[in-house]
Amino acid sequence: MGGPLRVVHYVNQFFGGIGGEDQAHVGVSVRDGAVGPGRILEKALGDDARVVATIVCGDNFASESEVEASRAIGAELERIKPDVLVAGPAFGSGRYGLACALACKVAQGRGIPAVTAMHPENPGASNARRGIYIVPSGASTTSMQAALDALAPLARRLGRRETLGPSEVEGYMPRGTRRVHDRGRPGHQRALDMLLDKLHGRPYRSEVPYAAPERVSPAPPIADLSRARIAMVTTGGLVRKGNPDRQVSANAVRYHRHPVAELESLSPTEWEAYHAGYFNHIVNSNPNYILPLSFLRDLERQGKVGRVHEQIYALPGVSTPVAVSAGHGRSIAEDLKAGGVDGALLVAT
Amino acid sequence: MRLEMGTFPVTDIAFGRTTRYDAGRLTVDPDAVLAAVRQDPRIASAALEIAKPGESVRIWPVRDVIEPRVKVEGPGVCYPGICGREIATVGDGRTHRLAGMGVVEVSSVNWHDAGGDFVETYLDMSGHYGEMYPYQKLLNLCLVVEPDSTLNEEVKNYAVHKAALTVADQLGEAVRALTPPEREIFELTPVDPKLPKVVYIWCVHSPQAMSGSPSAFCTATYGLTQLTPPWYLHPNEILDGALTGPYRTAFAMSWTVANNPLFLDLYRRHGRDWNFLGVISLRTEWTTQTEKQLMANQTAKLAKQLGAQGAVVTWDAGGNEFIEVVRSIQACERLGIKTVFLTSEDDATDGAPTMLEPLPEADAIVSTSFFKNVTLAVPEAPAVARVIGLPTRKILRGSTIGLHAGADGTIPTKGPLPPPWRYDDHYGFGSLSCIE
Repeated sequence: MGGPLRVVHYVNQFFGGIGGEDQAHVGVSVRDGAVGPGRILEKALGDDARVVATIVCGDNFASESEVEASRAIGAELERIKPDVLVAGPAFGSGRYGLACALACKVAQGRGIPAVTAMHPENPGASNARRGIYIVPSGASTTSMQAALDALAPLARRLGRRETLGPSEVEGYMPRGTRRVHDRGRPGHQRALDMLLDKLHGRPYRSEVPYAAPERVSPAPPIADLSRARIAMVTTGGLVRKGNPDRQVSANAVRYHRHPVAELESLSPTEWEAYHAGYFNHIVNSNPNYILPLSFLRDLERQGKVGRVHEQIYALPGVSTPVAVSAGHGRSIAEDLKAGGVDGALLVAT
Repeated sequence: MRLEMGTFPVTDIAFGRTTRYDAGRLTVDPDAVLAAVRQDPRIASAALEIAKPGESVRIWPVRDVIEPRVKVEGPGVCYPGICGREIATVGDGRTHRLAGMGVVEVSSVNWHDAGGDFVETYLDMSGHYGEMYPYQKLLNLCLVVEPDSTLNEEVKNYAVHKAALTVADQLGEAVRALTPPEREIFELTPVDPKLPKVVYIWCVHSPQAMSGSPSAFCTATYGLTQLTPPWYLHPNEILDGALTGPYRTAFAMSWTVANNPLFLDLYRRHGRDWNFLGVISLRTEWTTQTEKQLMANQTAKLAKQLGAQGAVVTWDAGGNEFIEVVRSIQACERLGIKTVFLTSEDDATDGAPTMLEPLPEADAIVSTSFFKNVTLAVPEAPAVARVIGLPTRKILRGSTIGLHAGADGTIPTKGPLPPPWRYDDHYGFGSLSCIE
């Protein structure tokens, strides 16, 4: 591999010098060489690396026209064929963070290593973390130098096709590849070592780096409840009496859908709870606690709610892995959408 | 408080005509021990069996493992408050313990009947599954005990646990008057004032919310299992059994609490690496967010009032409880207490965060790997030559192991048998962790 490392830098409309929020709609364009923070990046990368081009894209364009943006970024990367893509840093800016994650994914999809930097709580880091190298940064641009100093060595090594070590050693954020690992020293000793280091202000490395949970934007409020179709979903482990469907009490691998069109209320002679995470007896005496059908029927009669959806959804929400839960959620949501449901009551325990 | 702990290592165990300890060999008179157990009219049946390391033996199911400890000098009794024992404050004087052995409580009695919370832990004396736990290395005296079936679940629990404590007491009596081969003094002596002050925030589950009863059987503080605000415990109280198991995980047994290596190392390094201020014990599984946050605030406040500059935090339970635990860490950090969290991890499939509520303040975590045996990909435990306890495992309705069941809804416990749901090394006995 002769010559300096060829780096492409991805930035948004602001750092690309096009403009602020009013220019967030602009599409993908390319400048030769480094622009704005790219110059600091180039310095941080050292003599044997050059920012050969800068891809600029408006944050709104990247988030609202994701497919088009991906295609355009991909085409430029195919043309320039860099050794590595650096995106951002995006700091605390949510849309920019998502755009940086997108650019990294596009590059990686074409076999080009990529790395970005952003604040750990940036949605780009939490939603799109999987498989991407993200270096944690501060929330504001004042941490630009520190972020690029941390990012540059990783960019250099990725560009030279080196394999990086574990995230906690290299300093990037976890990429969703967590696995069992024997550290060769008992956990209690490691914990007390870490305590001593922390007490004395010495560096220590958490074995579980902070990973922000995924944020879901809530749907807009229902404008007119009196015309809305409302469904009920419970994670309270509601089952038909005697559990004929053989639902589990924890770690649900499936959810059940039951028709309630004919029912005014849930009767304890027909329904019960089977859930390994709370006191089931209360619900067994009145199942409407975890699925308030009787109360929703009242509201339906009074015309406050348009219509109670004919199907209910039930599962025990306990000990279920996030990935499985997300699958259940997507499936239930699709079903509700197909059934013309406007709103859903999610009843927890 | 000053406690002299006299240790009697047990290197062999056998049945004989009198219960006595001689140079490492513990002889147990099964008739006398069982006669004491049967004095309780609530006990319907009781038998003793011995399980040794390396044997092709499975103990099914295991409710608790207890290390025999006896109070020789000073107020109170060991394992105070449990099953009606006296509640005098312990931790002073002299205690004798039988090390390297366990009294194993084997019974079909379930924790409570208010949800799918089942006794499903078992112990193999050889093989890969048993190797994951400290009990496989112990000489185990198993009490296979069943209560009067007409009693309610709570009374059944206390009856069988009292029976196991009675066995432990009988063994403890055998070393009461003997001179211990090993002695260690435990005392929070004044230390160099420059040493950093640390507390151990030891979170233990309460069954109250789930069972609906403030007196349901479980992990106990002086016998109390209900949801209570944080306790301050002198570490000597814990050495005398003021905090006990069991709970539904294999690492929440009474033996494991009494031999918690994090606690013992923290104590033994008092005066060298830090000034150990003692233990704050927080009961977990509060119901509302307000209660959870209040407990977190009060735990941190108590630590601060004690003068803590550092804290190490452990816990012993599923998901719900995580909130008050991690919020306690957050509250400590916000009061300037430098906190380390020793914990297992949840499922990481599809890049999910393995902390139920990830908080940036929890920035010093030591992982004891995934808490589920299925995530750890622990293979089935192979068939064994002998089972101590129940010959079949009833498949509970909807159980995930229902696929293995025969026509009568049971599977033979002889195996092969899937490992229980939870592994969960609460106190860092092992070196397993996770990385990415």
